Amino acid sequence: MASREIVRYKSPTRTAFSVLVILFLIVFFVWTVLPLAIMLTSSFKDLLDAFKLPAEGDWGGVGVMFDFKPTGAHYIELFTEKHFGEYMRNSLIASLGSAVVSVFLGSMAAYAMSRAEFRGKKDLLFWIISTRMAPVVAVMVPLYVIFRSSGLVGTLPGLILAYTTFNLPFAIWILKGFFDNVPYAIEEAALCDGANRWQALRMIMPLVAPGVGAFIVLCVLFGWNDFLFASIIGSGGAKTLPVATAELVQPVKIQWGSIMAAGVVTTVPMMFLGLLIRRYLVTGLTMGAVRE
Amino acid sequence: MAVNSIDREPREQSEYRGVRRIDHVPQIFNNQPARYYLMWLLLPAVLLLAAISLYPFAWLIYMSLHEVQLAPGKSDLWAGFDNFSRLFSDKNFARGWLTLFKYSALCLSVEITLGVLVAVILNNSRLEKLFITIFLMPMMMAPVVAGFLYMFLYNGTFGWYFWLLRSLGVLDGGSILGNKSWAMAGVVATDVWQWTPLIALITLAGLKRVPQEQLEANMVDGAGPIRNFFSVALPNLYPFLLIAILLRFMDNFRFIDTILIMTGGGPANATKILPTYLFDVSFKFFELGRGAAIAFTLLLLTILLGLALTKIFEDPTRKIKSDRAD
Repeated sequence: MASREIVRYKSPTRTAFSVLVILFLIVFFVWTVLPLAIMLTSSFKDLLDAFKLPAEGDWGGVGVMFDFKPTGAHYIELFTEKHFGEYMRNSLIASLGSAVVSVFLGSMAAYAMSRAEFRGKKDLLFWIISTRMAPVVAVMVPLYVIFRSSGLVGTLPGLILAYTTFNLPFAIWILKGFFDNVPYAIEEAALCDGANRWQALRMIMPLVAPGVGAFIVLCVLFGWNDFLFASIIGSGGAKTLPVATAELVQPVKIQWGSIMAAGVVTTVPMMFLGLLIRRYLVTGLTMGAVRE
Repeated sequence: MAVNSIDREPREQSEYRGVRRIDHVPQIFNNQPARYYLMWLLLPAVLLLAAISLYPFAWLIYMSLHEVQLAPGKSDLWAGFDNFSRLFSDKNFARGWLTLFKYSALCLSVEITLGVLVAVILNNSRLEKLFITIFLMPMMMAPVVAGFLYMFLYNGTFGWYFWLLRSLGVLDGGSILGNKSWAMAGVVATDVWQWTPLIALITLAGLKRVPQEQLEANMVDGAGPIRNFFSVALPNLYPFLLIAILLRFMDNFRFIDTILIMTGGGPANATKILPTYLFDVSFKFFELGRGAAIAFTLLLLTILLGLALTKIFEDPTRKIKSDRAD
């Protein structure tokens, strides 16, 4: 804020205030990072180490958290005995397939919506956004019945189609906002120079390419992190990482080491993707309402 | 949807819109009016979307009026509005709505308070970049994984958060998620952990748009930083916070993965929000007709929220997109 130019004098209240602020920031930082750190360390701990806790009220014993001999056993187990390589491939195919289909068709439709004015456009847009907002469970009830009768349950194409139910409206909606920001004058100038419509469209490609790429990544993220569709529609043949993780919970004993390792395997690629598209992330997660 | 009704708009409006107007452009491509070319671009996506959303919606209505038989060879029985009228006497249904609102209210109030607080502190500080990077991490995590992670932290024999709460002397019982009054706090904390960062990022984006002159004018008038926040920054943030609230509320009933994993709605239905109940009815008891009726009521709420959201997008006075290129 503008307060930078104003000289501030020290006073006890001010000092106390800034100490409070710093304390709050530290607590918030720890609160955000600690679960991640625990997940990461636990995935490298063997069972004995993972279950070690200091006695209640023994604050000095917190160091136990980092006192362990790292072992990659859980990861090795996941990829050899538990077929996580295959599930990872399923996750990748389903989410990437749906992302590519959605963004390809979505960008065409979004371009048209952005450039054309026609009757019912508002209603069309409303329909699109409400499709995206519909609760997953509510959509799944009829979708399950339809997919079951057409043999799509338990297949990757079925899962791709299921993910498209939320990725396609997302892509249309967000890319429309994106194309709206590209001045039509650019295409107009190209058209005046004798370009045809496709060539004119190619003129604005470099402008929209980074955004389109970022929204492909976001669609991959939505599909990758999905659990409900994958557990009901993908059950059987098309098991994805979240479902496989949930299946590590067995009635007799929950294999926490493996679950934490599976969590790391599921989360880390998405975190990198998130950092990669950082500029578009808030726009994407707020349906284009907030731009940074 | 009527694609074939793509039409000219009245002249005044297109003048106002300026750059968007397309029917003046020389028709070079295929000698067809521009609108046909745009229609062919629009059509595939709209048809696909109709196939995967309108067609299931028709099915949903059909199912909600029938007693759906899952066994092959049996045909569905006409039930009229029985599925709907039964909802009125269904205690779990009413409780599901109540729990959903309680859950959302708790999540949202904590997230908004914390998110705005963090954003205001971080705004323009040296730590801003670092924190933004850290904020991204929980948001990128699959809700299922977050659910498991918190289950692990809450575990009664080796969970660190369980140990912390016991050590602080706050928790009397032997379990967090198994305790009726703590389970709700447990699932809310998970949501807060994952999504407070998003609120903070939205608020940060909003704070960058607060007009500098207003802040300075207020300061010249003798307002301190706190007064400045409440009387200048906060009113400017309202549209951003409104968006954040709508989106988070929407997601609260869109995604039930964490609750499903952590408590499954228990203990004693303490965390059984309506979508969780719907999941049980449809995919545990396989009463698809009744499930469809419940889904229908949820979709109504969705449509209301959608209307609110599109209103915000349309509102010409809102400041959110003030940086648009045109």
